Amino acid sequence: MVHLDHVSCSLGGVQALNDISLHVERGEFVFLTGPSGAGKTTLLRVLYGDLRPKSGAAVVAGVDLMRLRASGLPELRRKVAVVFQDFKVLGERTVFENIALALEVRGVPKGSIDRRVRAVIRALDLEERSYAPCAALSGGEQQRVAIARSMVVNPELILADEPTGNLDSDLSRHLIELFKQFNTYGTTIIMATHNREVLAWAPEARQVHLVRGQITLPTAEILVDTCAPTRRGA
Amino acid sequence: MSATGKLLLRGVADMRRMPLPQLCTLMTVCMVALLAATGLLILHNVQTEVMRTQGQARFQVYWYANSNMTEVEGQWADLKHVPGVSELSTFTPRAAMAELMRGLSAAIPAKPATPAVAAPQANATSANAANATGAETDRSAEAALSGNATTAPATPAAPTVTPGMMTPTPAQDDFSWLDGEDILPPTALISFNIPPGEAPEPWMGRMYARLREMPNVEKVTYNAAQLSLATGWIALIERAAGPALGFFALVVALVVGNTLKLMMLARRDEVEILSLVGARPWFIRAPLFANGVVQGFAGSVLALVCLKFLQIWLRSVLDVPPLFLKVEFLPAWQCFCLVLATTCVAGLAAFFAAKK
Repeated sequence: MVHLDHVSCSLGGVQALNDISLHVERGEFVFLTGPSGAGKTTLLRVLYGDLRPKSGAAVVAGVDLMRLRASGLPELRRKVAVVFQDFKVLGERTVFENIALALEVRGVPKGSIDRRVRAVIRALDLEERSYAPCAALSGGEQQRVAIARSMVVNPELILADEPTGNLDSDLSRHLIELFKQFNTYGTTIIMATHNREVLAWAPEARQVHLVRGQITLPTAEILVDTCAPTRRGA
Repeated sequence: MSATGKLLLRGVADMRRMPLPQLCTLMTVCMVALLAATGLLILHNVQTEVMRTQGQARFQVYWYANSNMTEVEGQWADLKHVPGVSELSTFTPRAAMAELMRGLSAAIPAKPATPAVAAPQANATSANAANATGAETDRSAEAALSGNATTAPATPAAPTVTPGMMTPTPAQDDFSWLDGEDILPPTALISFNIPPGEAPEPWMGRMYARLREMPNVEKVTYNAAQLSLATGWIALIERAAGPALGFFALVVALVVGNTLKLMMLARRDEVEILSLVGARPWFIRAPLFANGVVQGFAGSVLALVCLKFLQIWLRSVLDVPPLFLKVEFLPAWQCFCLVLATTCVAGLAAFFAAKK
């Protein structure tokens, strides 16, 4: 699903990723860990085509990122869904409209949109808020809307950048269970997190540790470091 | 309905989501379009006024004072049939004298009235009225002379005038002693339409020579400077119209374009999210394009409505003596161009605002 070979990437003259090689198979659940500034968010941005690697080889969901042109970006984004710490939902639109957006851009017929959106809304326990504007929802509910939007299109790969960063422990656990559920159905998941608790809730997931833009083996000290107060990735 | 049609409709429907930015943008588009339309209105009216007077030549012909009037009147009858004559005003010595008397009466300022001399108010009124009409034609002048205009002293009325009221006295406006003095010559004021294709100045030279050669004509005058002025204005308008139109178009394009781009900043989250979920560029831009088109169209139409009110007001203010300026509204094709240009600029600006 993800094949990175000796990928390097710089941001504003700073080497954010340095000679990274990472291979993730279909159906895997991978945690990206590491301190702030380690390059977790940069790596995710490379994977969904927001940043172009400077060197190396990168293929995601069958799309060669080194040759990816602007016109090919929608194709990649239809295979790869992204969930952010700050939700990125449209506050003035309803829960239903936000989730349906991902299907509308794919030209899915209206009847099918209705069925699929309602199914996901039920699965994420948002039925009562279906027609409430997202601005009126709590943080946890907004994050569930964002996850529902990514899941409703049944993507090959879900990238999650600190999805539990703004949520309390109970909600975080609930969301990890949801991710695990989708992973069980075959969706590949790569999640960046600082939170040791989150790592503990999915012990079967592979952990990839990043420090200063390079993949290293996680150590006890590093794991302690990842629990530092700063919760946002690089 | 096609997918594109649905997207365009969605763009229009989405306008209700952000009423305040939409309203502010509409006002800006409207005001800029109104500014440009006002410029066009001024240009159009100056051009219309100049074009109306261009190609007109006026000659004043003076006969000798003691000319035989039968002969002169025969010449006047002939002059009416000269090709290009658009207007002919003639004055017999008597009519000219009547005009002179009226002019003198009107020119002398009134003194504060006393009860004893307050009555001839009607006199002054009739004289002023006659003066205001100009009494240019022979017929009107004769009527004024034979009638009740200025010479006959009015019957004294009851002394109802309050102290300090401005009223002329009989001594001031009574120039009847001039009556019967044929000291003025017969004259004619002839307006010509210069034939199309003729160079104005040589044509006027030829016409001057022709009029001057008529029997008993003492002198002929014409205002060549007026024609030169009109020609100069036309040349100026022809030179200025292009740059002015270009300037207005540039102002509209820059302000409307940038305003629409700024408004799209309010929708940047939507654009970003649509891009993240795999929307193609057309899917993102079509609704924005529709939004821009509606803004441009509504703003420019609103500007034309405001311009109509402005034109009505200007007409009421300027179409009075001594200006008599008739401010006309823009012709339909200019209105159409303004709406089309504003709509296109707004639509394109919104379309390209979403470009990363």
